[in-house]
Amino acid sequence: MPKNDLSTGLRDTNGRVDSLVRGMVERARDNRGVGRMVLVFVASFTLFAALNPRVFLGPINLQNIMVSAPEVGVIAVAMTLAMLTGGIDLSLVSIANLSAITMSTMYTALGASSPGLAESMAVPILLAGIMVGVLCGLLNGVLIGVVGITPILATLGTMQILNGLAIVWTGGSTLYGAPSGFVTFGKTAVATIPMLFIVFLAVAISIAIMINRTALGRKMELQGANPVAALFSGIRSAKVLLGSYAIGGGLAGLAGFLFLARNPTASADYGTSYVLLVIVIAVLGGANPNGGFASVAGVVLATLTLQVVSSGFTALRLSTYQYAIAQGVILITVMIVDAITWPKLRRGKKRIASGAPTK
Amino acid sequence: MTTNVEFGASVDAAPPVLSVHGLAKRFGGVVALRDVSLELRPGEVHCLAGENGSGKSTLIKIISGAEFPDGGQIVVDGESRERMDTTSAIETGIQVIYQDFSLFPNLTVAENIVLTSAVAQRHKFHNARRARAQAKEIVEELQLDLDLDADVGNLSVANRQLTAICRAMISRARVIIMDEPTTALTHAEVTNLFVLVDKLRDRGVALLFVSHKLNEVLRISQRVTIMRSGAVVTAGPVEDFDIKSITKFMTGLDIDDVRTLPELSPEAEVRLEVVGLTLPGAFWDVNFQVRKGEILGITGLLGSGRTEIAESLFGIVPAERGTVRVDGESVAIGSIRDAVSAGIGYVPEDRLTQGLFLEKSIADNIVASSLSEHRTKWRVLDRRRIRATIDELFQKLHIQAPNAKAAVRTLSGGNAQRVVLAKWLATNPKILILNGPTVGVDVGSKAQILDLLREQARRGMAVIVISDDEPELVACCHRVLVVTKGRVSGELAGDDVSVETIQQSMAV
Repeated sequence: MPKNDLSTGLRDTNGRVDSLVRGMVERARDNRGVGRMVLVFVASFTLFAALNPRVFLGPINLQNIMVSAPEVGVIAVAMTLAMLTGGIDLSLVSIANLSAITMSTMYTALGASSPGLAESMAVPILLAGIMVGVLCGLLNGVLIGVVGITPILATLGTMQILNGLAIVWTGGSTLYGAPSGFVTFGKTAVATIPMLFIVFLAVAISIAIMINRTALGRKMELQGANPVAALFSGIRSAKVLLGSYAIGGGLAGLAGFLFLARNPTASADYGTSYVLLVIVIAVLGGANPNGGFASVAGVVLATLTLQVVSSGFTALRLSTYQYAIAQGVILITVMIVDAITWPKLRRGKKRIASGAPTK
Repeated sequence: MTTNVEFGASVDAAPPVLSVHGLAKRFGGVVALRDVSLELRPGEVHCLAGENGSGKSTLIKIISGAEFPDGGQIVVDGESRERMDTTSAIETGIQVIYQDFSLFPNLTVAENIVLTSAVAQRHKFHNARRARAQAKEIVEELQLDLDLDADVGNLSVANRQLTAICRAMISRARVIIMDEPTTALTHAEVTNLFVLVDKLRDRGVALLFVSHKLNEVLRISQRVTIMRSGAVVTAGPVEDFDIKSITKFMTGLDIDDVRTLPELSPEAEVRLEVVGLTLPGAFWDVNFQVRKGEILGITGLLGSGRTEIAESLFGIVPAERGTVRVDGESVAIGSIRDAVSAGIGYVPEDRLTQGLFLEKSIADNIVASSLSEHRTKWRVLDRRRIRATIDELFQKLHIQAPNAKAAVRTLSGGNAQRVVLAKWLATNPKILILNGPTVGVDVGSKAQILDLLREQARRGMAVIVISDDEPELVACCHRVLVVTKGRVSGELAGDDVSVETIQQSMAV
């Protein structure tokens, strides 16, 4: 029957158009975090470069951006991991401080008996700091993955505990002292790129590889995307969550090293503003707070963007409070842009899905 | 005006309550509806049949005001209009009962029945006593056995549906549209529903049924409209159709629903053996064997324990006593992971929440259960092998999508189910358990999915199909176990397996 041929023909055409639209929507979504952050980064950089090129584009300022970005950036990457699994980790900064305090205390204690030994033990001290981070992360992982406490509550608890521990330990005062190797490392640059920044990039690349190229990373994504389906797919959620929070804790421990490398002091209340800042960065970078999606490249760009805005504000002689306002404005602007473009894409999808009425 | 309409007995030649003429709708470049016309008369059940993607739900959305048409007319009580919006649809008495019923699980039956109409009438205050009285009135009028004070979250699917129908009726519905009303119901519950539908018909309500289950369509409706690719292919009184002709109109193909079994050699080894499996409160002393290449059906009413047996074999709620042997070796199944390691795969009934990562791509879903098996000796993922697995299954299962990167959320029911199947086939399981393998799947996909199961069986897999869709069991199962109140009450094998014998043994 010719009518039949016509309708199957039409159905095929519809199918193809359908496919094309779907593919476009998918691609737009896949690259959302990275694409928009490239834009925001370039825009903010250009803006400040235009407003005060002499100071902003000066080598000191650019160096400064690359030296101060890593400590926030590494914690933001750790936060991204927690968000990937559908959680959050409020204890990261406290872990980083505890790690810094541990390293500083170890150095001072060793130095009291033999200064030479303390200096030569720089690497074991660093490893001890990272271990402290991993252990704290494991504690989070047990509370969340094994006991089953909601991540925001579990890490709120450990944040308070670790923070309190650090205050009791230090008596609330600032500890001075870190292996001179740390300080030298913090001041070294390879081809004008500070070592600290190279560490940040190395961390970002390894975590990106972990997420995309290992079974554990992919399971983290799946766990975040739908914990029930993950369970029904035979994924051991507890193991995945333990892994995710332990790695995050280790990164926070490494951030403690970055603190010390920039400035050989450690205290319980360093970087308290980072707690919320890293959430902003992770979300700006494309991490979905509901879990299942995150982009390490997006997080690197978001870290740099906020650092650029921060030093841009300094170059323009604006205060840190005004910078705080700017952070909030950027976050909400990006979310609004998202909200405006999202429903359209969503509706587009629903339309397509509406061809499939009866699930 | 519309709120006080009384319905009399004159139903025969009644003019349509609602009709649509020449509706057209495009989404971007995609034609969803072309020249669609339909008439709904009071006291008549009208069935709308069509495969996924045929335009049924777009049509419902236009009638209920959720979407606006690009062309054509909607005529209500003889008054023609170009579009309907949701408010006027409700005022006109058009009520849609979706598959999820859109009820509040934390409220009681009475509250659910009354609330929407109270909101629609803009009541500022909630009067619990009056609400309950109103709810009671409608429940008694329809002679339903519903506990008004039960939380909806604790109700069975069937009772939720009744609640939704009461809610529609209290809003003085004149047109009730039901989306796949019977898919989650057992045989007995369907019969119950149909008794209620007849009562609604007597009251002059026009019903539009959207359904895949053709035997039910033929049983309940007076008029049938069949859609394909956004157009009405045929329409007429139900007497003009039978299952075969409807299938043909829906798919454009001739589909055989007859019993086709993969060959099973009498010497085939036992793949799965279950002895004395017991989970107090759910099932007791369950014994059965499944051989290599055999497809075993397990059926029973909702709540009979059929699902629980499957869930215990997959480690979701492990059995307390009993032995499970895979290829002769006893395995302890205490968790899902244990079951997966023993070579058991499970396609859950609720595939949207339990089976799939909706926001993730088809590719991610396909390898979700076999990531660790796709590693190189360096413990990183072997991307080439992963791609090969995905490509192979994507093609072999005929998943219809532009490519494997598409999010699973964009897929139709049949395609989504194929993705769940692909996920398990990627693990190369010895035993595959499927709970309601073709629930919410269109006729064409259904036949393909059953074919796929037959093929897997032919390759030596032991397949267990849990279902209350008798024709499906007849079509592919060598044997069928019937579960009643947690115990295996009957076994049908060979030529004894037929729709009638299954229904009889379930009714006991």
